[in-house]
Amino acid sequence: MSTAPAPHSAPPAPPGAATARVRRAERLLRAREIGIGLAIVMVFGLTYFKNHAFGSSLSIQQLLNGAAIIALLGVGETLVIITRNVDLSVGSVLGLSAYLVGDLFVHHPHTPVIMGFALGIGIGLLIGAINGLITTVTRVPSLVVTLAALYIVRGVDAKIVAGKQIDPTSIPRAFQALGYQTVLGVPWLALMVAAIVAIAGYAMRSFRSSRDLYAIGSNPEAAALAGVPAGKRVFTAFLISGALAGLGGALFVSEFATVNSTAGSGYELLVVAAVVVGGVAIYGGSGTVLGAALGALLLNTINQALVAAKVSSFWNQAVAGALLLGAIAFDRWLGQRVAKMQSTRGERRVI
Amino acid sequence: MTIDVAPVKPEPGKQPNDRPPAGSGEPLLSLRGINKHFGAVQALTEVDLDIPAGAVTALAGDNGAGKSVLIKCIAGIHSPDNGQVLWMGQPVHVRTPRDASALGIETVHQDLALCDNLDIVQNMFLGRERTSHFMLQEEDMEKSAGATLKSLAVTTVRSIRQPVASLSGGQRQSVAIAKAVLWNSKLVIMDEPTAALGVAQTTMVLELVRRLADRGLAVLLVSHNMNDVFQVADRVAVLRLGRMVAVRPTAEMDRQIVVDLMTTGASSRARPAQEPQAGEA
Repeated sequence: MSTAPAPHSAPPAPPGAATARVRRAERLLRAREIGIGLAIVMVFGLTYFKNHAFGSSLSIQQLLNGAAIIALLGVGETLVIITRNVDLSVGSVLGLSAYLVGDLFVHHPHTPVIMGFALGIGIGLLIGAINGLITTVTRVPSLVVTLAALYIVRGVDAKIVAGKQIDPTSIPRAFQALGYQTVLGVPWLALMVAAIVAIAGYAMRSFRSSRDLYAIGSNPEAAALAGVPAGKRVFTAFLISGALAGLGGALFVSEFATVNSTAGSGYELLVVAAVVVGGVAIYGGSGTVLGAALGALLLNTINQALVAAKVSSFWNQAVAGALLLGAIAFDRWLGQRVAKMQSTRGERRVI
Repeated sequence: MTIDVAPVKPEPGKQPNDRPPAGSGEPLLSLRGINKHFGAVQALTEVDLDIPAGAVTALAGDNGAGKSVLIKCIAGIHSPDNGQVLWMGQPVHVRTPRDASALGIETVHQDLALCDNLDIVQNMFLGRERTSHFMLQEEDMEKSAGATLKSLAVTTVRSIRQPVASLSGGQRQSVAIAKAVLWNSKLVIMDEPTAALGVAQTTMVLELVRRLADRGLAVLLVSHNMNDVFQVADRVAVLRLGRMVAVRPTAEMDRQIVVDLMTTGASSRARPAQEPQAGEA
């Protein structure tokens, strides 16, 4: 066997090469976000070509605002999915939070705006904590736990709402302003969500506890052996997901100012779709919140583009589904390609 | 951190120097009378073992002999029911993997406890990332990981920032071993490190194991591959049905003796090479 490794003779890599390699690896990681960004630009460009009204500032504001709440929920969902769990209760949490925040303003019209947000986040934290606790303590799959939470919370919501509806007249102007006022043409709502995405994205790269989330989703046994407190981290992920869904409820009120018992129903699937299109692996361990937010923007852009292109609304969901399938297929294909490429190159010098 | 380094009580019969190991040097870790049971199953019975620094101690035994339980007791995954663990002559209680790490005991697990989605650096620092003001110190960690890999002459990986999923089996095992070495460990426990590897990769990993011992580390190598044992080990400890039946220098053993000890607990052959080598290919 002449293949015994002779690693001593391998020349040490020059210091510049290491950082260049890091940069290349980073570029590879970001490729997914760039791809989604390009897809958004492409869909937008094509639609604009067909219907110039699509490029109006009002239309663009619609695109951003329409994606904002899904993107916000997507941030929390990303954290949960990275740990190889899923939170299906976000739509129901949003609905309950939205109604209770609206109800607060109905009964106490002079409540400060900030209290509305605090209430929404508080409701979300409560349900997120329950989800996280049941998942981590009983080890029942989170799919089941949060599916149950979806129905329970929706049921509680229906009981509380009892057929009533929150009207725009009961919501303070200051609270609604978030939904329609803009800064330099960008809606407040979108700015707020963008800020949250940026903070979460930064935290996911820079904090030790976020690294743990990836490890838990990648190989739970390895994470446990490395001393990663998996229960605590998964619980926190559910807590954040709940809190953001609760905040989403408050933002729902400020955007639409109309809440009934169906608010947010079906959002959970939109959120999961956006997250997966955004490159977060459904089996855990990889993905970014920026990708998830861009996924939400892409889905909303396509949705609006189909409307602007006067395509029958029946096709909307079919296209969204096809896109989801395409995204997953592309992800797997890319993953296999990259793994193959790297291992063949890596091993050429080895054994 | 809950390491009890109790004051050393003079126990005449229990001094680690009482029974010098067959290998080289004073034992780094000594086990005395370790018992462990799971329900009605007595997994370990009165196990004594010395692990000296600078040598590879192979732990052989048939399936169910208690090899895994024994290393898990050392690594802090299980706690022994009773018995004494002496670390450099001091009685210690290793209750969690963290305790073991704090002493300088690292384990390379059989199932390769690496995260596929994370890169080499992230894996090597998993659970013990360096931070400053709550921020991960990526460059710092990258430098240390690179230096450790280089010191072990693991230079076959293309980039230490590539995900572990893209590595070959041998490379993954090398990363797992380098991860154990990174922490200034004194004892590295390896559970079947060559089980899933091809011939050439096995050679590479065994060379790496040898290099660790030559650096002065104690290595406890669990294997039931006799080729590995005789290629790299200085001493062989044989477990059978939870009891330590023999601990001898490799030079005093041959394959047949080890197999006899593993299966029957005794061997009629005292020394190797006195009879035709029946068990060898």
